[in-house]
Amino acid sequence: MMRKLLLTAALVLPTASFAAGSVDIPTRDWDFERIQSDWDKDRILRGYTVATQVCLACHGLKYISHRDLMRADFTENEAKKLAADLGVKLDDKLLSQMDDQTSVEIYGKVAPDLSVMNKARAGGANYVWALLHGYTEGDKIPEKYKKYFPDGMPTGSYFNKYFGGHAIAMPNPITGPELVEYHDGTEASVDNMIEDVAYFMQFTAEPELKDRQRLGVYVLLYLFIFTILAYFVKRHIWRDVKK
Amino acid sequence: MKMKKDRGPSPDILKDPAGWVDYRLPFKWLVNDHLIDYPTPKNLSYMWNFGSLAGVALLLQIVTGLFLAMHYKGDVTLAFDSIQHIMRNVQGGWLIRNMHMVGASFFFIVVYIHMFRGLYYGSYKSPREILWGLGVIILLLMMATAFMGYVLPWGQMSYWGATVITNLLSVIPLVGDDIVIWLWGGYSVGDPTLTRFYALHFVLPFVIAAVTMLHLVALHTHGSNNPKGIDLKKETDFIPFHPYYTMKDIFGLGVYLMPFLFMVFYLPDALGHPDNYIPADPLVTPAHIVPEWYFLPFYAILRAIPSKELGVLAMFASILILFILPLLDRSKVRSASYRPIYQQMFWIFAVNALVLGWCGAQPAEGIYVIIARVCTFVYFAFFLSLPLVSRIEKPRPLPKGI
Repeated sequence: MMRKLLLTAALVLPTASFAAGSVDIPTRDWDFERIQSDWDKDRILRGYTVATQVCLACHGLKYISHRDLMRADFTENEAKKLAADLGVKLDDKLLSQMDDQTSVEIYGKVAPDLSVMNKARAGGANYVWALLHGYTEGDKIPEKYKKYFPDGMPTGSYFNKYFGGHAIAMPNPITGPELVEYHDGTEASVDNMIEDVAYFMQFTAEPELKDRQRLGVYVLLYLFIFTILAYFVKRHIWRDVKK
Repeated sequence: MKMKKDRGPSPDILKDPAGWVDYRLPFKWLVNDHLIDYPTPKNLSYMWNFGSLAGVALLLQIVTGLFLAMHYKGDVTLAFDSIQHIMRNVQGGWLIRNMHMVGASFFFIVVYIHMFRGLYYGSYKSPREILWGLGVIILLLMMATAFMGYVLPWGQMSYWGATVITNLLSVIPLVGDDIVIWLWGGYSVGDPTLTRFYALHFVLPFVIAAVTMLHLVALHTHGSNNPKGIDLKKETDFIPFHPYYTMKDIFGLGVYLMPFLFMVFYLPDALGHPDNYIPADPLVTPAHIVPEWYFLPFYAILRAIPSKELGVLAMFASILILFILPLLDRSKVRSASYRPIYQQMFWIFAVNALVLGWCGAQPAEGIYVIIARVCTFVYFAFFLSLPLVSRIEKPRPLPKGI
């Protein structure tokens, strides 16, 4: 009966995926999705650079302080120095440079906090990556989408291919290359900046990611051996029970 | 009036301390007669592992929940932040929370398999009707507990799920709207709702544990059913619970924990909804309000019926009908293996339940509603045709023994 039950589930469940809405988010390979990996410290720092110099102008990262960088193998001194460069202390949260009132006046709403953004959207880092790539040159509406906006974009909104409804209040933040200067000489191209900041936002969404991946291997390995041993003990105990 | 059995003089506390305690509190009866020497059919399959697994799942939820409660703040201004505090700052907090979150889903998986086992092998039939009924009570308590637990993180799905589901009670004639306001503690889901849901979410698991004890008392009165579904009389048909089933359950636990812990460590959010990482906002309604996966079949029934009143009625009826299942199924044969018609019906019902779950995850429009209606019909037809089926069905010959 068990076999039939599993078979039934296997046949039906794959079709039971959730409807993700009308927008298809392209998937990319991210090294943090591997079972075992470490945070790429240079990439974290590059993403941090984009986040603090571009995103933080309007958004906050209120669950993140510079001390959290130590979870991505930064030393306390490195984290302290980065904090000092921004004029904040090690434990200060990374709040937005814009207050809520100003944000509402300019964009019509408070810019959402970005700390857990990668968990709060279907697709995670893929979504952030796609969204930042979803703007068009000169905010033009592509032919395909013109039928949705016969009178042009509504006031205060910009076209974005990957945003639900395609009208987003946030103007393209990555307007062109070299918005920031990277510490390691990596070219600050649009593609690199987007990739790096999406990666960094995965870190802010779940700084514990590497802890659980590391611990998980040991726990599962232990459990696997335990279960095999338990199976043989069970068989040994049951050997005399006649069917 | 019957006099209490004379237990004779108390053993000496120094010479026989265990006997001295047992004279006052019969723990030997409890441990020996119900955990060690308890006679258990020797032919139980692995489908019989899920009862004890459900017990472990409940225990894990209570223990992890207790530690979460030490750090969680039941206040609309603090709840969302306190979850992030647990995930980021509390030592091992992410592990405890992931276990609690994934554990809820796995608890339901285990209990659903446990119920389908009972359904297939006729474990609800005489003399185990009350055992089955207590199980349905446990299911209802679990659903209430899980629903309120999902509200606590105070994300968008928490808030809007709570709004949609509590609103269902407004269909009660005359007093419906007042009941909803009473339940909310205000004119919308808000701080009073959150705090009372927190209090109830904390206490209900202990009620579940208490009903589980009654479930076990009922079970141990007539003992386990078995895959043949026949009454076992011979002493050689039984083996002591320990070490046979204790060891089998330990092995089963290991098998259970592997996918469970894999999800805890590698896919903790896979069964949740991303919208619940957006703080609750009464002014923004999510595009699709979807409950957790384990409610989806019932959610599909609710939405399949055009009238809100009848939909709510059908949803509650779909669970409550389980109470009268022993009355509907008149067949004396327990195991579906010996019931040619019922066996087919069982598999149709099982697939139908999964399709209903799939429908519940789709938007309530177009073809999805039509499929959901057909499935809702099949769901109830299964139960309502049982009196007739059990009368006309010719069971296959039952085995004499195991």
